[in-house]
Amino acid sequence: MPEKADRVQDQLVAFLPNLRRFAIALCRSRDIADDLVQRACERALANERRFEPGTRFDAWMFKILRNLWIDDIRKRKVAGPQDDIDERHDIAGISGEREVEARLALNSVAQAIGELAADQRDVLLLVCVEELSYRQAAEVLAVPIGTVMSRLARARKNLAEATGISSAPTRYPVTKGAAK
Amino acid sequence: MTEETFSDEILMRFADGELDPDMVARIEQAMETDDRLVARIAVFIETRAQAQAALKPLHDEPVPEKLVAAVEQMIEAKRAGEKAAAASILPFGSGRVAGPASRSRWMLPIAASLAAAVVGGLAGYWAAATNERTQGGLWVASVIRPALAQALETVESGKEIKLAGISDRFRAIATFRNDAQDLCREFEVDSQDRSTVVSVACRSGDEWRVSFAVVAPGDAGGYAPASSTEALDAYLSAIEAGAPMSAEEEIQALAEVRRKDRK
Repeated sequence: MPEKADRVQDQLVAFLPNLRRFAIALCRSRDIADDLVQRACERALANERRFEPGTRFDAWMFKILRNLWIDDIRKRKVAGPQDDIDERHDIAGISGEREVEARLALNSVAQAIGELAADQRDVLLLVCVEELSYRQAAEVLAVPIGTVMSRLARARKNLAEATGISSAPTRYPVTKGAAK
Repeated sequence: MTEETFSDEILMRFADGELDPDMVARIEQAMETDDRLVARIAVFIETRAQAQAALKPLHDEPVPEKLVAAVEQMIEAKRAGEKAAAASILPFGSGRVAGPASRSRWMLPIAASLAAAVVGGLAGYWAAATNERTQGGLWVASVIRPALAQALETVESGKEIKLAGISDRFRAIATFRNDAQDLCREFEVDSQDRSTVVSVACRSGDEWRVSFAVVAPGDAGGYAPASSTEALDAYLSAIEAGAPMSAEEEIQALAEVRRKDRK
């Protein structure tokens, strides 16, 4: 994984698989994700001078992409409720249509990640999947590091619960309803 | 020994390697006797591993060619733009010279209308000893140095030589006539500092005058990048340059110049 970039343009193509994975996990559609990735690259190139060499290129790219996605969601909400895709649901797809798009339903863990609340899902993706540090994730999400930790802990408790990864101690009962 | 209690967050930080060494040591000690603590930590280690494994296929699937091509195209465009910005064009007129700041491409028509553009600092070795230095710091090359003049009169287009006396490589690109029917040559010089100068010199009376020059950033030899040739194209169309001569026409035209020189 590229960690230090002197020039954004030299790292972009090699980073596409990670960026695209993150995008698919966010928007649950490959077509939308590809468009999102392309726009993120465009924006990154236009703002190349703002990237500080020596800082994490991946964190910088994830932030750009996620911000674009959040803008998209806002616009869609303004455009009308009929387009309002429930953010809380499914990488795997609740509806058959999305299921076909995402083709992740075979994997129950991926499905469970998709069913996490968006703020929990995002921090889980950044830290556990893309291996950012808490501080980098906080930077990407523009939240305090304490928020990153509390969301991440909840995300993992919920994931463990949903997939039966490990029996949570009875002292910490976590139900789906309570988590949301 | 009383059992220390740790919050979920602390255990998660332990599992993620985001905890200070003192706390790590305390937890490790507690783990030796507390199986339930181990199980709680295991949840965090497991969830990370499982999430990674679950989304690995998404990372491994090939990025659509269309997307890769689109991104590569944007990068190419960006690089071309940077090179264009780096290629500086400095026009000069009758003694009054603009500052050495680089010009953006919209300056081209102006440079062309002056029918005389030369690059500061580089003109020095093109210029013969008779040149005067102007206040702007540019050399006005009224006469170019003999080695270059000789190259202009002898080297066929497409051929490359080392300029006599200096290590610069001279590459003849084309020969044509301008709107005044003067004989002109387009050429490139790779200088010691590894920049490539794209230039046009035209015959004026019995001497060569450099009428256009643009320096392209050093790409370690080879032909000048497209952005500088775009600048050249704009210049060539401004002076209504004729079509490049054929090899035979060129040989004849250069021979004629040399014949006149001997007179």
